[in-house]
Amino acid sequence: MKRLFKVDYLSRVEGETGITAEIQDGKVTVRAGVFEAPRFFESFLRGRHYSDVADFTARICGICPVAYQMSAIHAIEKIFGVEVEEPIRELRRLLYCGEWIESHALHIYLLQGPDFYGAESAWSKKEYLPIAKRGLSFKKLGNRILALLGGRPIHPVSVKVGGFSKLPEKKALLSLLPDLGEAFEESLREVEWAARLPFQDHTMDMECVSLCAPREYPMNHGNVISNKGINTPMGGFLAMLRESQVRHSTALHSKIRKDGLESPYLVGPISRVNLNVEKLPAEIREVLKKCGISPPIMNTRMGIIARSIELSYALHEAMRIIRVYEAPAEPSVRFEPREGEATWITEAPRGMLIHRYELDHEGCVKNCTLIPPTSQNLAQLEIDLRDFIQNHIGKPLDFLKKESEKIVRSYDPCISCSVHFVFIKETCNPVTKKND
Amino acid sequence: MKRPRIGVFKFTSCDGCQLSVLNLEEELLDLVGLFQIAYFREAMDRPLRGHLDIALVEGSISTERQRNHVIEIRERTRYLVTIGACATSGGLQALRNWASIEDYKKTVYPSPGMIETLPCSTPISDHVYVDYELWGCPVSSDELSETLGSFLLDKRPGIPGYSLCMECKRKAVPCLLVARAEPCLGPVTRAGCGVLCPSLARPCYGCFGPKEGANIDSLLNVFRKAGFSDHDCALLLDKMNTYSYRKARGREGHS
Repeated sequence: MKRLFKVDYLSRVEGETGITAEIQDGKVTVRAGVFEAPRFFESFLRGRHYSDVADFTARICGICPVAYQMSAIHAIEKIFGVEVEEPIRELRRLLYCGEWIESHALHIYLLQGPDFYGAESAWSKKEYLPIAKRGLSFKKLGNRILALLGGRPIHPVSVKVGGFSKLPEKKALLSLLPDLGEAFEESLREVEWAARLPFQDHTMDMECVSLCAPREYPMNHGNVISNKGINTPMGGFLAMLRESQVRHSTALHSKIRKDGLESPYLVGPISRVNLNVEKLPAEIREVLKKCGISPPIMNTRMGIIARSIELSYALHEAMRIIRVYEAPAEPSVRFEPREGEATWITEAPRGMLIHRYELDHEGCVKNCTLIPPTSQNLAQLEIDLRDFIQNHIGKPLDFLKKESEKIVRSYDPCISCSVHFVFIKETCNPVTKKND
Repeated sequence: MKRPRIGVFKFTSCDGCQLSVLNLEEELLDLVGLFQIAYFREAMDRPLRGHLDIALVEGSISTERQRNHVIEIRERTRYLVTIGACATSGGLQALRNWASIEDYKKTVYPSPGMIETLPCSTPISDHVYVDYELWGCPVSSDELSETLGSFLLDKRPGIPGYSLCMECKRKAVPCLLVARAEPCLGPVTRAGCGVLCPSLARPCYGCFGPKEGANIDSLLNVFRKAGFSDHDCALLLDKMNTYSYRKARGREGHS
């Protein structure tokens, strides 16, 4: 007997995506399809000046524009041999904190949170409203950081190759401290709240991948590491990837090639927490201990806990940066464009965002590759869904459908992010990328 | 009084303008009290059927499916409002309109034949009647509140159609074009952003699109005198509102 369920347009995720699952003779096939229309960023970036790249790639995603700006300017600075001063490096980190706070708060409280309370939206149930309000106040604070440094929270305008167009006043930064301090205290309680939510036990053996930097929780710098032995500079990781176009799903899927095999992997908050837990502040680690959470977290349903941990971390880190910040003499350093190629990876709220650029002698883009976190997680997500359905195969389709939706949401997919998205109808075998 | 029904829709875009709705933050919960939210995929599960009093539409039209969908939305909507550069002007992805779509597909996809897309990315107003257009990349949260508030008060929203220069002068921000000969699009661009870029010492790059009656060629002459080539000038306009700036120049479709 063949049973089939379909979610045409998944709600409470960023962008347009659907799920199709087919159960035939006890065998499950799952397709996490994406029907976001293609936008061809890699095509129209060709021939554009390096100074357009951060503004353009930011437009890939309204939730994580800073991630795109960060990966882009770091890659370009690597090509030009630009070294920025410590305060600039720290301000960029502060900007990223703003985005992590805003994006994590959005997902925890407005998108995924309602699932744990049987609510259809953050405002559909009276008892959920106070929780939604807590989330909105975190989100507002994240947006304030973004607006202070970049003019506005969505597509901020001050980031550029070499530094910033203008630096914030120390006084304005300091004025954020009282609210950040209060929010940090609250965020510790929120980690406890997230840890107490009911989770299905679904421990999986998976390869967690994130950046890892010597003394800090990873954002803009570090090597790529995994719990299964990867430890490579950024460029080396890109060489390990295989991107394929899959007819059934609509994004290019990324897998790691190791020993002749291609395997899925997980990027994002769970991976970052698992691989960098010792760099979290003592206060947060204490709370984890108190709630009985000892990373590695190997249950993808618990993404909301990892996001709560990082929300708290980002508030703490923002305070640290603001306290030590001393303005540099100039908002940006001078440099000369030159020809070259570079790969850079930064940690977007949803995981590693890979950018690779080839520039000509005037600094115009010859070629580029952009690999967002969501397309890196799609293969893992499909396995996760398939396993879940396989394990609950006798249950009613409605139940399977609803739970599958929750699983997809727990990955916090960012569909607009995937610049590779294609719109396809029929199903058939994967096609490998030509230039691989 | 029955609460007016509102829907938020997305076509080809980055989600940033829908996010501006969620960024209303505390006002968001007021909004939920004042309107009945009938459709908002990014934030709620079950959409409601039937007519809408307002549809906020994000994103440009770039596939056949979207073209049909926007007509369906129009048919059941009293006021259709576009939010942001994609919906109002085709967005950054309209850069494909001046290139070969087949080349574009080949650059990104190993099997370009599998991709269904229209050769052009176009604003909503190319397909259906639009009652009100909100510009910006992203749209400003203030203009969103103003528009929704005006609907409740049954008045026209007070959204400026004049240039960014007016706002800049009012805020006494030094002119980057005059003082530093930087290629600022302020003179031909709509006000609305709150003078973001000039306040942060960078020239305007046109998030809010051409102002009413913009004399773009005249501004480009100023840029040329400052040493910018024709090619540089063209690229300055070919950003998130490329379709509208080219249209305003009366040279739509030519590079």
